[in-house]
Amino acid sequence: MKLKDSIRTALRGLTHAKVRSLLTMLGIVIGIASVIVLMSIGKSAERLILNQVQSIGSNLVFIVPGATKGSRFASPPSVQGVIIKTLIKTDLEALRREPTVERAAPEVRGQAKIVFENNDTTVTYTGTSEEFFTIRNFEVKRGNPFTNSDVDSFNRVALLGPEIARTLFGERDPINKTIRLKGISFRVVGVLEEKGLGPFGVDQDNLVIIPISIAQKQLLGINYYNVITVQASDSYNVEFTQSRVTAILRQNHRITDPSKDDFTIRTQEDALAILGNITSILKIFLTSIAFISLIVGGIGIMNIMLVSVVERTKEIGLRKAVGATNRDILQQFLIEAILLTVTGGIVGIFIGSLVDVLAYLVLVNVLTSGWVFALPLSALTLAVTVATATGIIFGIYPARKASLKNPIDSLRYE
Amino acid sequence: MISVNNLIKDYIDDGSTTRALTGVSFEIEHGEFVAIMGPSGSGKSTLLHILSFLDRPTDGTYTIFGKSINDLSDNELARVRNKQMGFVFQAFNLLGRSSVYENVELPLLYSTVPASKRKHLIEGAINAVDLNEKIKIEAGKLSGGQKQRVAIARALVNEPDLLFADEPTGNLDSKSGAQVMEILKKLNDSGKTIILVTHETYTASYAGRILHMQDGSIDRDEFVPLERRTKRDLFK
Repeated sequence: MKLKDSIRTALRGLTHAKVRSLLTMLGIVIGIASVIVLMSIGKSAERLILNQVQSIGSNLVFIVPGATKGSRFASPPSVQGVIIKTLIKTDLEALRREPTVERAAPEVRGQAKIVFENNDTTVTYTGTSEEFFTIRNFEVKRGNPFTNSDVDSFNRVALLGPEIARTLFGERDPINKTIRLKGISFRVVGVLEEKGLGPFGVDQDNLVIIPISIAQKQLLGINYYNVITVQASDSYNVEFTQSRVTAILRQNHRITDPSKDDFTIRTQEDALAILGNITSILKIFLTSIAFISLIVGGIGIMNIMLVSVVERTKEIGLRKAVGATNRDILQQFLIEAILLTVTGGIVGIFIGSLVDVLAYLVLVNVLTSGWVFALPLSALTLAVTVATATGIIFGIYPARKASLKNPIDSLRYE
Repeated sequence: MISVNNLIKDYIDDGSTTRALTGVSFEIEHGEFVAIMGPSGSGKSTLLHILSFLDRPTDGTYTIFGKSINDLSDNELARVRNKQMGFVFQAFNLLGRSSVYENVELPLLYSTVPASKRKHLIEGAINAVDLNEKIKIEAGKLSGGQKQRVAIARALVNEPDLLFADEPTGNLDSKSGAQVMEILKKLNDSGKTIILVTHETYTASYAGRILHMQDGSIDRDEFVPLERRTKRDLFK
């Protein structure tokens, strides 16, 4: 039997039982739509995280005080709240002299009450230097960033994140207004551009940036740093810069045994690796759910095809009597199963894509404006392949059963 | 054309063997109209199934068109059934939801006849049973007599040399039965060999030869003289 005739015959078989064909297909439609939606959401989450990590800057090497034992995913003690005072100005100066380092910015952080007229709120402030804005991709929307001469002169100037500016000033212009942070007056010199969430959900819009000198001496009373962020020079790769930074710090801290390092170095690659682990698990989880629903759909197809083979026993006998070979019958029933799953797959792709668009519209408005739309080609290809494979895998058993029927018994079947 | 020698057929069911054919031998020439008659359980349907390549004998030889059934694979049997044999069943065995045209087309789907030539063959076969007006009607909606005529058209469409009919008038009233037998007679007159199984004397009376079966063997091989054939008055 020619393939064209087989397809025509299979189509006739399916259209003669329209409702049943449609209901059978439904399992595959839902399965494939789930594959599309869940894979797309997984991809979107991955892109969101990548964008967030890239939004904090490029070629970055973060130095935090305190050693990290164990894997690269372990968090250093300073992050866990332990005060470690080993990262100091001489380290920063040495790093700034290093040719593989394009620029370096120190950071200290604290929380304090910020007040403007009758409005107040608690905010996380960052004390840093002029390089910070470039390194961390912070654009100034209004006003200007402070300079290192402001840092050296202990000038009490501040830049506000757009969120905190709105909270304190509403629609008014904050530039040159005086705010009070931990009781100390600061002149607002700039408002930052909106940046959204950073990696690990860090809010990059709800912050106050002040010169590190003031932050250390007047707000915190310390002389060490919480972080030094280094931007590797474009001429060197980040790994090389990382090794140079490690060598400089060991030399400064007189460390000869690497196991006794009193600092931890992290790159964006590390952040991506941590987050990549999370998204991989998420993707495996989502894909598993989708595939389970596909298997359920496939079993549905097999079930209906088996019933169909029994119901059409006489037809099988007749076809064999008029010249159909076992292969012809196998081909007919297999094509019926494949047509069901492929049609279900196409409808599933359509519905899945539609749900994906709706999910995007909801998530971008409700969850985060940084949510990215993704409809990966791999999901579409996989959906079609899986739909066809489901048809073949779950269709072959009933089709084989049909093909092996004895024509005489089939013709006599009541 | 057909040579059957000492044909034996055993059925094994739950360990016990039943012998349906106990050593049947006969020959049929091209163009004959042969009726196989006998009471229920005499082995006539078993014989027809073996003759029409739907089943294989347990022992003995059966040669048709110069080919022995024992030498052919299942696929080769299917090919011979498709090219050289036509089937008419008591229960019509039509695809009820398919049109008359699609039912008649069925054997062509498994043949090597190119699609371009099919329409001509199908319409010719439907014309031969005088059902041109019903060509697009679903087969399930036809009367019993019309259904059997569709089945005959389906049996004819591949232009086979040999037609097998298993109780072709069994489910029909006498008028429709007569119409069906008239068509078979006409086909025989045009040169087709026809072998039918029946237990009805008036259906068998169309045949030129009657093989009377009893307990799995041929009891009597009766050649019917021309003047005794085709007692059409019985159906009018």
